[in-house]
Order: sequence, then structure tokens, then C-alpha cells
Amino acid sequence: MMDRLKTRWIIFGGLFIVVTVSYLLRIKFESTASPEVQKSFTYLEELPEGSVIMVSFDHEASSLPEIRPLALAMLRHAFKNDLKIVGVSLFAEGTAIGYRLLTETAGESGKTYGADYVFLGFKPQQISAILGMGESIMHVFPEDYLGTPTDEIPMMRGIKNYEEIEMIVSIADGALTVHWIEYVGGQYDQPIMAALTAAMITTYDPYLASGQLYSVVGGLKGAAEYENLLGRQGGGNRGMTAQTTAHLYVITLIIIGNIMYFRARKAGRE
Amino acid sequence: MQQRLPVLICFVAGILMFLQYFSRHPVARTVFVSINDYWQIIFAFTLLVGVAAFGKSNLRQIGRGIDTPYRFIALSGLVIMPVLAIIGGIKIDSPFQWAFEYMLAPMQATVFSLLAFFVASASYRGFRARNLQAAVLLGAALIVLIGRVPISEMISDSFPKVTFWIQNYPSMSARRGILIGIGLGSMTTALRVILGIERTYLRGE
Repeated sequence: MMDRLKTRWIIFGGLFIVVTVSYLLRIKFESTASPEVQKSFTYLEELPEGSVIMVSFDHEASSLPEIRPLALAMLRHAFKNDLKIVGVSLFAEGTAIGYRLLTETAGESGKTYGADYVFLGFKPQQISAILGMGESIMHVFPEDYLGTPTDEIPMMRGIKNYEEIEMIVSIADGALTVHWIEYVGGQYDQPIMAALTAAMITTYDPYLASGQLYSVVGGLKGAAEYENLLGRQGGGNRGMTAQTTAHLYVITLIIIGNIMYFRARKAGRE
Repeated sequence: MQQRLPVLICFVAGILMFLQYFSRHPVARTVFVSINDYWQIIFAFTLLVGVAAFGKSNLRQIGRGIDTPYRFIALSGLVIMPVLAIIGGIKIDSPFQWAFEYMLAPMQATVFSLLAFFVASASYRGFRARNLQAAVLLGAALIVLIGRVPISEMISDSFPKVTFWIQNYPSMSARRGILIGIGLGSMTTALRVILGIERTYLRGE
């Protein structure tokens, strides 16, 4: 029992040291953009100036270290290309985060609230909210996050429903993007792009292969690749070293674990 | 009557929502928007029920003296956050935003990041090539683990390609099978609920 506890603490301590040291060393790994990240980047790059995209912050605060670099890279790109952003959130926790990220990136690019971007906030019952916006965004969100009537916001005057929106970008750490794909993609023929945590990428692979999902920027690696395409380093690249060393550490543990297992099995036979 | 009325409401709402999908007629759109509005109102009430249940459960446990300090902290969070929002607003520099960003978000991220330690420990203890199937799974996991970090490109150009193949063929075919199963199951359950065959939502009867 003591030996098991001791081993566990050694493993925990090892991971802590590996991650801490890799953050301190600041080694830079080159990340070539995957076809999916390239596709997402090219789409936003080629959208005409003034086009409207909807960014939905469908995540919890727990995944912020991975979500933040992804969101920052894509929002910076959108603002850099003078795209207009309608922000919403299908998760209550994503609301405050979404508002902060939008305000931060808009401030960097000198964008004005109400003219270049707007944040409508959170609406309970995701499916109902998603379907409702297909008829009228103002009906679902009569006020924005700050309490301003939506019809008084200059940017929103020309936006009735999904027909005026070029792309929906769902930034998610769970299955909420599925609702966008199934209800908005299916019923309103709206293209959907996803920025996902690495753990969720395989969940969306079938939707990606079928074309129901336009593209995916996935995990910290996806964020690093996007940052490289954008030419602006951020949390994705900073976190890549720690992620790489942590993966190598886990691989080493698996190999050691198997060596121990086979040695014990051999000793048992003898 | 206690059973028939909810089943009838469910049947009418289900059939209306099903039919409106195929029509762009203004009447169909009005029905759709109205049902959608009611759906959101009902859901908002369920949030209130959740808050009330959370408060009641914690107060009961405090009364029994179980985990009292933790339950006080949980309840204080439930009270303090709305109070901060009401008093100081929710703008970028408000106390509400500060509490969210510098208390809630780091605490949640901390708990979530503990997973990394348990994954490391589990990978050492549990990921063993005990038989052929386990060995194949282990091999695939090792390739994907390396393929998902930039160092894979430094080792070999083939690593990202093999990772892509594993994700897009064996892994995806399994996932598609699951998704098709879920889809068929959802359709069957929806039909059973609409037609009143499935009534477990009515007090489990």
C-alpha cells in the first residue's frame, strides 16, 4: 500500500516538474498548420470586410487554459480582417468569459462596441435558443448582455436571423457544437466552424468528414498553428512545450509500466 | 385525467413541432416561435427549481452538521455572485467580473487540471499490453499521443499521417456506429413519447 502511494507521488511530482521546467525553458516547437486549421484560417481571411460572423462561447470556465488561446487567435483574426462579430453563449459560464475575450480583442484592434461587435449574452435552453435565432435573433435576445435593447444597437439593425450571418464559430469544450450542427446546419443550411478542446476533436470527426461541420481548430496545438498563421504568438505556442513534454512523460510512464508488467509476469512464470 | 392531459399536450406539441419543420407557412412559423418561447420559459423555471433544491439540500446538511464549512462556502457563492451583479453590474471592470475571472475560473481550471495527474498515474498502472487487443490499443494510443504534439514532425513526417489515419478510419468508423445507434435510439424514444407509449416522465408510471 505504501509502495503504491509512494509510486503515485513520484508520478505526480514528476509531471509537476516536467510541466514547470518546460514553461521556464521556453523552448519553441514549430507547428505546421494542419489542413483543418488552414481551412478555418483561409475562410476567415477571405471573408469580405464587414461580413458578420456569430461566435458562440459554449464552454465552462474549467477549460479556459485551452479555450482562451483558441478564442483569442480566432477573434484577433476576425477583428484584424474587419469582420463584425455577434457574440452569444449557450453556457452560463461562457457568458462572462466570452464578454471578456471579445472586449479584450476588440480593444487591441480599436473596435467599437455596437458598431463592430456585440455580445448578446446567455439564453437558457440551448436548442430552443438556437432554433429561435433562425427566425429572429432580436426575438430571442431582446437585450444584449449589458441590457441595451438589441434593436437600438446600430450593428444589429441589419441582422435579422442566420441569413445575414456568414459563419457560426462555436468555441466549445463539450457536445454543444452538435446542437449548432444538427439544428442550424441541418434546418437553416448554415455553415458551422468549431474551436474545440483536444479531448473533443474525435467526437466531431464524423461531422467533419460528412461536411456537416466546415472545419475544426482543435486543442492547444490548433491554437498554436492558428497563431503561427496569424503571425502573432500567444498562449497556444507557450503551452505547446508543456503539452509536448507532458505527452512524452506519459509515453515514458506507459513504457516503464509495461516493462515492469512483463518482468513481473516473467518472474511469476519462473 | 392526470395521465391523459399531459400525454395529450405532449402528443399535440410533438406533432406540431414535427410538421412545422416541413413548412415555411407563416402559421407554421408562428406556432414554432410560440412553442419555442414556452420552451425557454419552462426551462428558466427549471433553473429556479435547481437553485432552490441546491439551497435546500445544503441547508439541510448544515442542520445535520455535515461538512458545514464547505456548505457555507457553497451557499455564500450562490448569494454573493448575484448580489455583486445587482450592485456593481456585469461590465468588464465590475466586482462580479473580477470574482468570476479571479476566483471561479482559476478554481475550476485547477480542479480540471488535476485530471492530468490522474491520467499520468493511470497510464502507468493501467495501460498494459495484457493481450493482443490491448497491445493494438496501446500502440494506437502511443502513436496518437506523439502525433498530437509538434515533436512528431521532428521524428518523422509519417507520424502526423498515421495519426490522421487512426483518427479518420478506425476511430471514426467506431464513432459513426455509436452516432447512428444514438440517432436511431433518439428517434425511437421520441416517437414513443409523442405517441404516449413511453410515460416514464410522468412520475415513472
